[in-house]
Parts: sequence; C-alpha cells; structure tokens
Amino acid sequence: MSYVILNGMYKDDSFIPEVNQIVSEEFQQMNYKGATLILHDKEIKPCLGCFKCWVQTPGICIIDDYGREVAKKMIQSDILVYLTPITYGGYSAELKKAVDRSLGLISPFFRVYENEIHHEMRYDKYPHLVVIGTLDEPNTEQEEIFETLVKRNVLNLFCEKYSTLVIYRGDDEDAIKMKIKSGLAEIGVKR
Amino acid sequence: MNKQLTFLMCSPRGDKSASHSIGSYLVSLFEEKEIIVKTFGVYKTLKNQEKTEEMIKSIDDSDIVLISSPLYIDQAPYMTIKLMDIISEVFQQGKLSNKTRHLFAISNAGFLEYYHNSLVLKIYEQFAKKNDLIWAGGLPIGAAGTYATYPIPEFLKMMEQLPEDDYRQEIYNKPTKILDSVIRSSVKHLSKGEIVPKDDLQKLEFIPMPLESYVKGANSTWPEAAKQFGAEDKLRDKPYER
Repeated sequence: MSYVILNGMYKDDSFIPEVNQIVSEEFQQMNYKGATLILHDKEIKPCLGCFKCWVQTPGICIIDDYGREVAKKMIQSDILVYLTPITYGGYSAELKKAVDRSLGLISPFFRVYENEIHHEMRYDKYPHLVVIGTLDEPNTEQEEIFETLVKRNVLNLFCEKYSTLVIYRGDDEDAIKMKIKSGLAEIGVKR
Repeated sequence: MNKQLTFLMCSPRGDKSASHSIGSYLVSLFEEKEIIVKTFGVYKTLKNQEKTEEMIKSIDDSDIVLISSPLYIDQAPYMTIKLMDIISEVFQQGKLSNKTRHLFAISNAGFLEYYHNSLVLKIYEQFAKKNDLIWAGGLPIGAAGTYATYPIPEFLKMMEQLPEDDYRQEIYNKPTKILDSVIRSSVKHLSKGEIVPKDDLQKLEFIPMPLESYVKGANSTWPEAAKQFGAEDKLRDKPYER
C-alpha cells in the first residue's frame, strides 16, 4: 500500500512539519510506502484554466513542470493526504496550486450523481483521502466550512473513504497522535 | 467626493473569461453611478511588485472591493487565495488606513447549479471578517460559460429576438433576466454604502433546466473541442493508470 502527503504549509510554518512527521511515522510503522511533497519547495505553475488537460492531451496538463508529477503521484497512491493550514476555512494557496493542476485526473464529461452535476471518473480507482487542517485555535465557522469543502472534494474526486482532521497549534504531541490515528482508522488504516 | 471601487479580476483566462465578462458588467453599472473604478487582472498584477503595491494602494483608497473569480475544484483558484493572503498580510500589519470598506464577490462555475459556488462565498466572508472588511454578499453563478462568450447585455438583446413561445425563453432568457436584476440591485445597494439584502441574492437560487438536459448538451461539446487537436478519440485516456 502506498501514500503521498501533499504538504501545503507556508515557508515560515514551524508547526506543520511536526504534524507531517507524526503522519509519516504512522504510515511507516504500518509498512506503507510513500513520500511527502513539500509544495512550496516545488516549481508548480498556476493552472491556466485552459482545459487542454481535457481536450488536447487528455489526462495530462500541458504545463511541463512538477505539477504533472504531483498529479501522477496523487492518482497512483492508495492514500492521499492533504496537509494544510486552514485558510479562511479553505486550503492554503500552496496546496491549492497543486490541487488545481490535478484537474486532468477527472473526465471532462458530466454526469448526474446524487442529484447534482459532477464530472465522470477518468480512472477506475481513486485514492482514499485524508485531509488534515491546522488552526491556531478552535474556530467553529472555519471548521464547518473546511469539513464541507472536504465532502465536496470527495464527491468530485471519487474517494471511496475519507476523513477530515483539525489539529490546533495548542494540541500536545499525544493529542495530535490520537487525532491522526483516529483519522487514519476511519479510512481503514490501523495497526 | 466620488466613491472608489477596486475590481480584482481573478481568472487566468483574462478577458475571455466569465469572471471578466460578468465583473466588467458590474463595473459599467458602478461607473454609471459615478463610482471611480480601478481594475486589476490578478494574474498579471501579482507577478509585478510595483503593480501589486498599486493594487494595495487602490484597496486602501476604496469603499468597495469586488472579487470576480472562477470556481476550481470547489474553491477559488490558487491565485485568488494568494491574493487574499497578500491583502490579509497588509491588513494584519496595520498598513491600511482605518476606513469602512465593503467586500462583494462573484463566483462562477461551469456546473449548472448555483450552489457549487456557495462554499467559496463563505470563504470570502471569512476573509472579509479577518480583515475588517464588511461582507456585502456574493453572486453564485452556474452555467457561466455562456457569459464568457456573450456578455449579459448582449445576451439579453439576442434573447429579445426569440419568439415568446421559444423554449430558450425559459432556460436562458428568464434566468439571465433574474441575474441582471440581482446585479442591478447589488450595484444600487453597494453604491449607497449598503450590504446587498439576502432576499435579493437568494433570487439566484434556482435551477433553470433539468440536470440531464444540461449534461447532455455540455457533454456534446467535448469531442468537438478535442477534434481540433486530433484528440477526440483520446478523451477517456488514462495516462497515469498503474
């Protein structure tokens, strides 16, 4: 089994690397193979909104940079982890830069699913999704938005199982470990 | 003294985009009310430090900030979030003058249903809250591609030519007329320094046609679009399949 962690931290964040370390150790202890991609370190240009990943080179972004590699790693993993500071209730710009470039993982064709219009699947299998957001302190409004956002992403990215975790900067290491173990258990990853 | 508005156009597709077309329509209505408008194409502006500072200065001087952005995978695109980060940073550093400023947003998507945009409008509201901007509301617009090709006034003129019993009256003309009336009402309230009443914005909460009809129509466009690249038989390729 494999995992990939898309780490959407900003450069000066000292807390998210600690969370990242704990998540990686959990996977390693269960013999999962995978890697963390620190997105702000990578050359990833913004999505052009051109839809050429749908109509010119279907499934592959026309921008030849690390954004392509991220999309490939996303779809080829069993478990995809988004790690991000919760930003106004949503994902960080760094995480979103990579997620935008993964548009080619879905088909341009629409379908009606659960009484809403969504895209069709391009692949037969998509990874389970674990989304970990960090906040300075509890914030009910932003946490509700964040949880809804993940649910919407799951609908559009066809994840069979998913979990959403919110970790506060004030949480101690034991609390963080407990949240992460619980989040991974929700998608069936447990010792 | 005239009020000022900063228009932040957040689509990478520039003037070919629905974000540009719809936002520019609001701008034209604000200008009719003698509001001074400064427009910034965010993708170009943020590449240039001098332009970025000019944009911040404009926001500092403005009574209204207007964001017009597409929806990418349930959220605003990367560059719109980066824009909010840059604006937040100057607000948090106390670099902007103490002034009442309203934030109004347009979110548009290719999906038919307006509500795919609802969450991102809540995110803009949180951004406003963090930065002492008054959240004045937002327009959730579905099936927005039409307005990228035909600006709203032009589209309404085209629809005027249709016979009254034409089926397109119900699925295109009527929804666009409602959108137009909500836009006009929004501009009226914002120009007076008021937030836009929720009752007005809720007029956009309708689905103009059966979902299956929209899906059928939209899906027929992809093979045609791919044909020019010789890719019409590759639309369902799985290049990264394990």
